[in-house]
Amino acid sequence: MKSSEIRRDKKVLTERMTLADILLLAALVTISISGFVFIKEAFPQGTDVRIEVNGKLAYRLPLNTNTTITVKGIIGNTMVEIKNKKVRITESPCLNKICIHTGWIDRGAVVCIPNRVTVFVDRSEGKENKAIDAITG
Amino acid sequence: MQSQDKYRIALFSAYAIAIHSFENLLPTPIPWLRLGIANIITLATLVLYGFRAAMMVTLIRVILSSIFIGTFLGPGFIMSFCGGVSSTVAMGITFSLFPRLFGPVGLSLIGALFHNAAQLFIAYLLFVRQLEAILIVTPLLILLGTITGVVNGFIGNILINNITDKSPQ
Repeated sequence: MKSSEIRRDKKVLTERMTLADILLLAALVTISISGFVFIKEAFPQGTDVRIEVNGKLAYRLPLNTNTTITVKGIIGNTMVEIKNKKVRITESPCLNKICIHTGWIDRGAVVCIPNRVTVFVDRSEGKENKAIDAITG
Repeated sequence: MQSQDKYRIALFSAYAIAIHSFENLLPTPIPWLRLGIANIITLATLVLYGFRAAMMVTLIRVILSSIFIGTFLGPGFIMSFCGGVSSTVAMGITFSLFPRLFGPVGLSLIGALFHNAAQLFIAYLLFVRQLEAILIVTPLLILLGTITGVVNGFIGNILINNITDKSPQ
């Protein structure tokens, strides 16, 4: 009796899974995995750390020198640490501490939305060349 | 009929708020990853009682649980509000246009995708203003949304089947 129940449950699980569901799932997985590859190719490791407060540039620092700085945000001070060509936020006055838990990054950005502090890692030069290279292959 | 709808909306909203608040307490390996299990309730409401009920449940859930958690009208609330509304609208439109094409799993996937898309868009518009930073996290968000979307779809499917089994009308 138990095995029949399990079988019924399994049937119920797959019963309403239509072909369109499976195609959509496959498409999403393909898109996201090719997105990973595209991102790796299009955005190489940065060289500069750019810190913005409320959308305005506050600091611009090189990624290859180890420092710790304090950034004054909307609700308090955010501590940013640069070490071994990586950046992280070490202290923040926000509630959920998402920015701290993001950890070290070497590309992209760490965002602290409550304090309006954003730490970007980008390239200081050669950006246009890179774009042209990407287009022409 | 009218009062029965209200009763159902109230009941499902209560479930959704409870799940949403519980989910907020769960630690996640990646900080901004949310499992979106409250979306199961939206999904079940949409399939069982239609778009208007699902929209009501989503609005009540997002607003009330943000008041309970203490993020009402804050940045987290704006993200959660826009994500919830857009995913419900996307699922509702898909379900009313092609009711037979997608099952609960497909609807849940669409909901997760639009939830992420809306949040990325809002994050870009209001907070980040840097297309590269958004683009870098997009594939990861789509992949995670797909995984949680499938799981939520399966659970929603079981829920929908159980409810339709128990209420024969």
